[in-house]
Amino acid sequence: MSGIARKVTRYFASFMLIAVINFTLPRLMPGDPIKNLIGEDVYISEKMMEELRLELGLNMPLSEQFASYLSDLLHLDLGHSYHLHAPVAEILLNKMEWTLLFVGISVVIGSLLGGFLGALAGWKPKKKVSRLTSFAFVVISCIPPYFLALLTLYLFAFKLGLFPSKGFYDTPEIGSVLHHLFLPTCVMSVFSASRNFLVMRGSVIQEKEQLYALYARAKGLHDTGILFRHIIKNASLPIITLLALDFGFLFSGALFIEIVFSLNGMGLLIYDAIMGKDYPLLQGAFLVIAFTALLANMLADLLYALIDPRVRRPA
Amino acid sequence: MKQRKYFTGLELKAGLKRQMALAMLILTLCSNILPAGAAGPEDSENNDSENNLTLSKEGFFDRLITYIKGLYLGEEGETQDSGVISEAAAADVQQSADSEGAVLKIATPSAIKSASFIGDSNLGVFTHLSNPPLMKMDAEGHLVGQLAESYNVSENNTCWTFYLKDDLYWSDGEKVSPEDIEFSIRYYGKETPWASWINDTLESSTVSDADNSVTFKFNKPYTRVNMEFATYNLLPAHVWETIENPLEYISNGPYVGCGPYYLKLIDLNAGKLIFEKNPYWKGKAPVSGTVEIHFYSNVDVATLALKNGDVDTYYKYAGSYPYSGIEQLEKTGDFDFLEKTDIGLVFLALNLKKAPFSDPEFREALAYAINYKELVRLETLGYGEVPNRGFVPSAMENFKETEKLEYSPEKAKENLEKAGYSDSNGNGILEGKDGKDIKLEILIRSEYARTGELLDEYFEQIGLSSELKTADADTWITLKDSYDYDLTVIRSTPWGMLMHASWGSGYFDSRRTGQGVMHNVEDPEFLQLCDDILATTDPAELHDYAYELQDYYAENLPAVPLYWSKSVTPFNRHFEGWYSDPLYGIYNLDTFVNVREVEA
Repeated sequence: MSGIARKVTRYFASFMLIAVINFTLPRLMPGDPIKNLIGEDVYISEKMMEELRLELGLNMPLSEQFASYLSDLLHLDLGHSYHLHAPVAEILLNKMEWTLLFVGISVVIGSLLGGFLGALAGWKPKKKVSRLTSFAFVVISCIPPYFLALLTLYLFAFKLGLFPSKGFYDTPEIGSVLHHLFLPTCVMSVFSASRNFLVMRGSVIQEKEQLYALYARAKGLHDTGILFRHIIKNASLPIITLLALDFGFLFSGALFIEIVFSLNGMGLLIYDAIMGKDYPLLQGAFLVIAFTALLANMLADLLYALIDPRVRRPA
Repeated sequence: MKQRKYFTGLELKAGLKRQMALAMLILTLCSNILPAGAAGPEDSENNDSENNLTLSKEGFFDRLITYIKGLYLGEEGETQDSGVISEAAAADVQQSADSEGAVLKIATPSAIKSASFIGDSNLGVFTHLSNPPLMKMDAEGHLVGQLAESYNVSENNTCWTFYLKDDLYWSDGEKVSPEDIEFSIRYYGKETPWASWINDTLESSTVSDADNSVTFKFNKPYTRVNMEFATYNLLPAHVWETIENPLEYISNGPYVGCGPYYLKLIDLNAGKLIFEKNPYWKGKAPVSGTVEIHFYSNVDVATLALKNGDVDTYYKYAGSYPYSGIEQLEKTGDFDFLEKTDIGLVFLALNLKKAPFSDPEFREALAYAINYKELVRLETLGYGEVPNRGFVPSAMENFKETEKLEYSPEKAKENLEKAGYSDSNGNGILEGKDGKDIKLEILIRSEYARTGELLDEYFEQIGLSSELKTADADTWITLKDSYDYDLTVIRSTPWGMLMHASWGSGYFDSRRTGQGVMHNVEDPEFLQLCDDILATTDPAELHDYAYELQDYYAENLPAVPLYWSKSVTPFNRHFEGWYSDPLYGIYNLDTFVNVREVEA
């Protein structure tokens, strides 16, 4: 328990440090958020600029802005977006739901598919099927995601006309959502699977050389049993780490995929916030990402302890 | 054991194969069946938010039958966008069940970020269709009435009276009144930062029901009111007067409008806006029952959508369809192109506050050093022309045909020599009047990288050493505002050319600051010219001043225009009746009431 308490304390301290960096980083970027808000062709007087600064709290000294930011944070108030004219929490929740839908599913499918196929390929690496799948996944992992997404879109949406080319849906119905998200989810799943495949394959190749695998075989256990009852548990440790990382950065979205498929997700939201110097939105988004990354790492630590008895054993 | 292992291996192989095949089949089936006969959309007024996903419980077997029919009988069972097969889907095929006529679909890269009618700038452009401004610009760049039948201005330019057309109705049946105009203008002045000048200068406003007019009295002469009123969308007072914080008012629609269409739905997740015919519109009836604006984050995908017929045309405010994509569309044979010279342009701005750029002869030499034809060929792919010394493009009102800019490195070198810039130490680089080598720093944003490289080459050819400094937009603004640059490449937008005293003066007047302006000309002659323009509304006087201004640009070269470009709009050959104006391109009421589908 004290080990867990220490970890929680460590994570909390990390979170506080992140909150400080979160506040500072956007303000270190060059550019004036007021000028970004006004636009290039609009002329407004200095008096009006000052009034806007006052309204947005940007005329206060940094220390006061920070105190206000911390106080809002403690009240779970992430502020108000300069450009989108809505509470940041509301905007993030809306975008997170959609991002979770297609990125989350992709991460899960990618992990399962990549892990499963990687285990099989690692178990029998010399087989033709294993070589072919390894080759395919290596190729996929080397292709830039933007290119693969465009190629998929071109082929399946425009050439074959099987899927739509943009948006989360055409009408807000489950069928339309599934239809629209099928392609982007596939692309992301394949990418995620390619990485997980390679890691899992290497991990299984390593593990199957261990003595316990030989002992299991000597006992008369069949291949499936050895692989899925013994080896995969040990070989999946790196996958758990990767999964934790993926989940941690789930809400950072997938910018390239969102651009290609014109999806209104977290990736584009963050990108626009950076370009527009929308401090509250940036702070809110980074905080959410940091929080989920920390949470995911914490869960990964716990999972490791569950799966690997060596971690549980006292030093 | 061996046999068992062999059998086990086989089972694994066969079993695995069966499972994977089944999984793929189910996935394929589901992805094709479910959307094939989706039920109609809920009434948008009842939709709480864009997250309101409703699964249609009825019609699943209809969908299954539809799918099977499509698979085996060869009937087209495509997505809900292109056709309807089952009865359940019939009601769903158009976004609004009660609209008639064709759907005009427009692709745009100018995505709406927020459903804030007043707050989102791109939405403000698109809602010209549903909430047109009082004034508009015609194809020749003249300001004419749109909702205003006519207008007049007092001699001292402080009182502006607009006479409203008599046959305008809001989409909820209410008549558009002069009170709506008064309300809208005051509302923008009070609630939006970019219209704060109204709040500062509007002394009073009076409405006259007798002649359907509204008069605005300003506390000082203001000659550009008609131009400004070409950008403020009219709002129904009876709706918006109850909304306290309009910038933060978010709604997916419908919004009450008085144009030929009203804004029915803003759907950010589907990436589109839907406009429906205004049932109370008394003007020329548009043919299309619905106009849909589809946002594409990627222009390549928008091009594919155009080629595929998913959309009928492309629109970008203050921008052209990418020149590199034109050939692709031409090859299909399905597209025609509307070409109009843009009133915005790309130009080389010089830091007139420091030597040698403050020397007119040096500027002249720089102007001769630039290969304009090459720039036109490489930057516009032929959809442009060499600019004139007078800066102002030909599409602008009161354009004067000044001399074309000439590329002549020999003349450039000659001018430099005559002006006292020579290479006395023989290192190939000319020295300034201070005796030091002239090293030019060309500040550029990443979108002008190629132009910057070309300029670098041109200047080196005439003995000027130069280097490129690339900065992001914000850093560029900071450096530009602190005059921490030698030369920079910048683009003027159509509105930018019209602002201040028009004809691009807003970019140079040193008394005026803003995001993208240079504010680098302090010459009293120029400033007086700007003041003279701002002091009159007389068309004849404006004509003379415009010519004077262009002569000033031609003589002094405060900036060197690099090329004039064309705004190219592709449209499906099945449509005709497009109308383009210098300010908003094809996105104007004349287009929407005239464009119709024809036999190609």
